[in-house]
Amino acid sequence: MSTFTTPTGFQMDNSGKRVVVDPVTRIEGHMRCEVNVDDDNIIRNAVSTGTMWRGLEVILKGRDPRDAWAFVQRICGVCTGTHALTSVRCVEDALGIQIPENANSIRNIMQLTLQVHDHLVHFYHLHALDWVNPVNALKADPKATSELQQMVAPNHPKSSPGYFRDIQNRLKKFVESGQLGPFKNGYWTNPAYLLPPEADLMAVTHYLEALDFQKEIMKIRTIFGGKDPHPNWMVGGVPCAINMNDDMAAGAPLNMVTLNQISSIIDQTRDFVKNVYIPDILAVGQFYKGWLYGGGLSGINVLAYGDIPDRANDYSPGNLMMPHGAIINGNLKEVHPVDLRNPDEIQEFVPHSWYQYPDEARGLHPWDGITEPKYELGPNTKGTRTNIQEIDEGAKYSWIKAPRWNGHAMEVGPLARYVVGYANGHEYITEQINFVLKTLDVPVSALFSTLGRTAARALEADWAGDQMRYFMDKLMANIKAGDISTANTDNWNPATWPQSVKGVGFSEAPRGALGHWIQIKDTKIDNYQCIVPTTWNGSPRDSQGGIGAFEASLMNTKVERKEEPVEILRTLHSFDPCLACSTH
Amino acid sequence: MIETFYDVMRRQGISRRSFVKFCSLTASALGLGPAVVPQIVHAMETKPRIPVLWLHGLECTCCSESFIRSAHPLAKDVVLSMISLDYDDTLMAAAGHQAEAIIEETIEKYDGNYILAVEGNPPLNEDGMFCIIGGKPFTEQLLHAAEHCKAIISWGSCASWGCVQAARPNPTQATPIHKVPGIPAKPIIKVPGCPPIAEVMTAVITYMLTFEQIPALDRQGRPKMFYSQRVHDKCYRRPHFDAGQFVESFDDEGARRGYCLYKMGCKGPTTYNACSTIRWNGGLSFPIQAGHPCIGCSEDGFWDKGSFYQHTTDTHQFGVEANADKVGLAAAGIVGGAIAAHAAVSALKSARKQGGDNQ
Amino acid sequence: MELTQKQTAVYVYEAPVRLWHWVNALCIVVLSVTGYLIANPLPTLPGEASDWFVMGYIRFAHFAAAYIFTVGFIGRVYWSFVGNRYSREIFHLNLFNREYWKELVHEMRWYAFLAKEPKKYVGHNPLAAIFMVGIVVIGSLAMMLTGFALYAEQSGPGSWQDTLFGWLIPLVGQSQDVRMWHHWGMWIITIFAIIHIYAAVREDIMSRQSLVSTMISGWRMFKDDRD
Ligand code: HEM
Ligand code: HEM
Ligand code: NFV
Ligand code: SF4
Ligand code: SF4
Ligand code: F3S
Ligand SMILES: [Mg+2]
Repeated sequence: MSTFTTPTGFQMDNSGKRVVVDPVTRIEGHMRCEVNVDDDNIIRNAVSTGTMWRGLEVILKGRDPRDAWAFVQRICGVCTGTHALTSVRCVEDALGIQIPENANSIRNIMQLTLQVHDHLVHFYHLHALDWVNPVNALKADPKATSELQQMVAPNHPKSSPGYFRDIQNRLKKFVESGQLGPFKNGYWTNPAYLLPPEADLMAVTHYLEALDFQKEIMKIRTIFGGKDPHPNWMVGGVPCAINMNDDMAAGAPLNMVTLNQISSIIDQTRDFVKNVYIPDILAVGQFYKGWLYGGGLSGINVLAYGDIPDRANDYSPGNLMMPHGAIINGNLKEVHPVDLRNPDEIQEFVPHSWYQYPDEARGLHPWDGITEPKYELGPNTKGTRTNIQEIDEGAKYSWIKAPRWNGHAMEVGPLARYVVGYANGHEYITEQINFVLKTLDVPVSALFSTLGRTAARALEADWAGDQMRYFMDKLMANIKAGDISTANTDNWNPATWPQSVKGVGFSEAPRGALGHWIQIKDTKIDNYQCIVPTTWNGSPRDSQGGIGAFEASLMNTKVERKEEPVEILRTLHSFDPCLACSTH
Repeated sequence: MIETFYDVMRRQGISRRSFVKFCSLTASALGLGPAVVPQIVHAMETKPRIPVLWLHGLECTCCSESFIRSAHPLAKDVVLSMISLDYDDTLMAAAGHQAEAIIEETIEKYDGNYILAVEGNPPLNEDGMFCIIGGKPFTEQLLHAAEHCKAIISWGSCASWGCVQAARPNPTQATPIHKVPGIPAKPIIKVPGCPPIAEVMTAVITYMLTFEQIPALDRQGRPKMFYSQRVHDKCYRRPHFDAGQFVESFDDEGARRGYCLYKMGCKGPTTYNACSTIRWNGGLSFPIQAGHPCIGCSEDGFWDKGSFYQHTTDTHQFGVEANADKVGLAAAGIVGGAIAAHAAVSALKSARKQGGDNQ
Repeated sequence: MELTQKQTAVYVYEAPVRLWHWVNALCIVVLSVTGYLIANPLPTLPGEASDWFVMGYIRFAHFAAAYIFTVGFIGRVYWSFVGNRYSREIFHLNLFNREYWKELVHEMRWYAFLAKEPKKYVGHNPLAAIFMVGIVVIGSLAMMLTGFALYAEQSGPGSWQDTLFGWLIPLVGQSQDVRMWHHWGMWIITIFAIIHIYAAVREDIMSRQSLVSTMISGWRMFKDDRD
């Protein structure tokens, strides 16, 4: 097959053996990946397909905009709440609603809590097995493991040789039972695994510790939002009223007791990230820093909307604590502002997506977005309509739409944010990045890789933990100053709304830039469109042959064994794909 | 050496004495005499972990997220020591062919003896291709795995009722497990909730393993132990409901005192779930405690019962959306007006008639 | 609903029927008012919950009236077996009888001022008969079924209410749907009651027979001797 070059400079061809990975596991939702691997085991063509669609945008039509948060929250239970937050911001934007300062602090703490939680769970429970070999951990010397841990994470209390021996014994029993459970059929003899047994044992131990600890983090959101996953939100503020010193304060959602609980969990969370997560990332990085595949679009086109408004109701970049901007063609010297309202900047295309537009040569800005499913396979498909053996990427091939910023496919996510932050000279981010580069003794270019993506996520979790403390202190200071307001209900009644309005809400979800666009007519939703981080990263091709971040990241990767897709999983996982999100 | 059920219980601090006692309780619960107790003890001491295939259809993975929030037992202990989670695409190491092969291996080795846990549901439209796994519709995987299982657990409102993707107009025709055409006649345990409470999920599993039986189910197939009461029945704000003390608008005086959220649209009175008793995340809180009305997330079709902030439901029955009070008041007004007019005409007629009679 | 011969007075409504009628009417008023207040509660009262029991009393009144309403209905069904022939009328509707339809048309023309003169009936007129069966009998049954299904939710599994009526909830959909239909039922019955009272008073004045006093004394008085 002929070779072609994508707009971002990737040389692609269809030669070699077609390798299919379906299902791609340890992600949220359903995804398929096909690659062509040449005789030198190099990936020459990569195709990623989103294989589920539920139709939330269709379902939202005609509903009460105040209810939208609950619907879109169910887009995803992993990044639970980020859609809800984006939705209430979107409706507030449309209706011109200003939220109280306390509501802003609480929402920020909830969103930052999600960042930490999602990143942590992603690294340990979805991603670690791409780097860590639990079977190999059986060979470890618990005493040496203990020494390793005390060296890399001196502040973590659980580090005695006996502790590691117990875990190892439990693991041994588990493996010897012959019932390997989730570790069954893993690629445990693949030479792609590079950690020594002691590091494997340490990581497996932290896999279990993190599984126990993650539920503690989310208790913060259970206090603010009543439950987790899927805590409650509301248009105009937050539903959790504050009562510190008045009658019946004990019956209020937020009082001295519950705020103390939150404060204490924030401290534990920061400890865990600093003493376990970051050291583990550095340890893994140390052994894998020679494996720097997977950069994809990260050094070329990256996008961030920004999030975490310091003061309430100001969503301008200057007030956002997370980076905002777009970088194109690898030019880190120029960070472009992004306007989510501009009809020409952000558009979605569907020539390779299972949707139809009246004119598919053109993209649509989400305010004018159309979601009309159309499932059909290209002529070069191998298999049948309900049994796809090899997909035809020349035609429609994914339930994900193709969003573009000024025509460019973009990577979003922690690495994109860190690249933008770095380019912007964001102090804290620059410091963190320099620290990691120095510790691992690698050049800046190492950032643009699978490993870079995984490291950026950990650094961001650390940053987010610190900001949780900042907003908790801010919340307490504001309450001390006499302001206990948590909601603005002036425009709660639909009778106060204009006949026809539109709005946009955005956030930085754990996986990247998230936008919701709404049109409200006669108090009901007329159109609701979401462009989600994984829509960006998992985007199929466009009519110019532009490929999305997933596909780009797999290009030119060397695989050890064609039949064991561990490298493909490793790189795809570094994005933390969420397919329920991507298609919604 | 296999870590058996007995090991697990021992590790959780249960003594041998109470383990045996527990086995005899199990025996009587199963209607068996004391003679079989030693057999049960033996079985529990040596029995391998029961395999579980955890499939995902159209869903948001939040049921899995909820599951890992379980404090008692820890999700870790369930996965390492109670069950053998052979297939779960969110957690498993293998992918692609190697992952799919596991389903076949489990069927071969444990035909009729594994639990099928389903999160999400299959779409029926577009030949099922709104949810594709291994190039084929999820429906195929579901039916195949269901054919050979011992029992099915329908996790969450998706598998139990359809949930958000089945909300009007349900563009993919997402269908809850018990209604999927061709689903074999296996016991189905619905554990609804969007998502269900973590400890409820692990308790359902623990109960099944411990007592080797399916929990008692209510009319709708939900475990009675967690779904026989409404949120309202044991809501700690209930005294305020009875007193007539309500939050009238968010963040008002009532909201700060923890008054009842009925007027904010609370669906606690029509929602069967254990939120007000078991509560969430280790018994910490639940939606109402955090100031938001219950939206009824464990109920069939809760998305389509009108606004979450309105306690009375709109009807969509006749192709129009209408609220009983609005329509009723309007109708009463119209009828009242018509009666007044009718009465006026009647009076006029009879006056005329009387006039005529007089002539 | 036979046409009368030349009579001036007939004993139509026996005492139990009259008693039931007025008790039933009172129940419906109480049920509608309290039901409306259950759906749309009164403004919030300040202070401690233990100081008040407003919703509790409203709901109690609803349930008390509901039981009286139900017992009355059962009593009325019983009386239709042992009472006089007019006592059976509200449970009968002869839709397959040509004569009935002819008379129904006449009755509608009378209300639409098209017919000059009303006919006389010892029992229900044909229009009333439709409403009696459709709204009073079927409507009451629907309210009792849905009402007791809702009541079963609070009396709990294992209660007789749950055993007898609990099945209705999954049949209708879910609890919230049952509430919604129960609520719609209130409006349908309320509107019937308004029309019914108007018609009774109007006919008492304009028709050739007594109505309101009939429901008090039991005797139907005719104002003329013509057919
Ligand atoms: C003419 C007859 C009746 C009328 C007009 C009526 C009206 C109503 C209305 C409007 C509601 C509020 C529904 C909502 O929240 O949207 C209600 C609730 C209720 N009704 Fe009735 N009802 C009637 C008969 C009955 C009967 C016979 C029962 C049987 C016990 C009953 C039991 C209930 C119950 C249990 C509730 C729910 C109360 C709560 O949970 O707080 N009702 N009714
Ligand atoms: C909620 C209120 C009411 C309901 C549900 C109701 C129901 C009924 C029913 C079922 C009958 C037929 C009795 C039988 O054949 O067993 C009837 C007859 C009658 N009702 Fe009512 N009633 C109500 C209120 C009233 C009121 C307030 C009045 C008086 C102003 C009234 C006047 C009459 C009269 C005059 C009849 C006899 C009609 C006839 O002779 O054909 N009703 N009502
Ligand atoms: N992509 C995505 Fe989400 C995130 N993070 C969405 O906004 O994961 Ni489920
Ligand atoms: S039931 Fe709700 S929480 Fe569970 S997967 Fe479905 S949408 Fe998510
Ligand atoms: S808050 Fe909801 S569940 Fe609690 S008492 Fe009020 S109506 Fe019932
Ligand atoms: S919204 Fe759901 S979580 Fe419980 S309180 Fe209501 S059932
Ligand atoms: Mg979209």
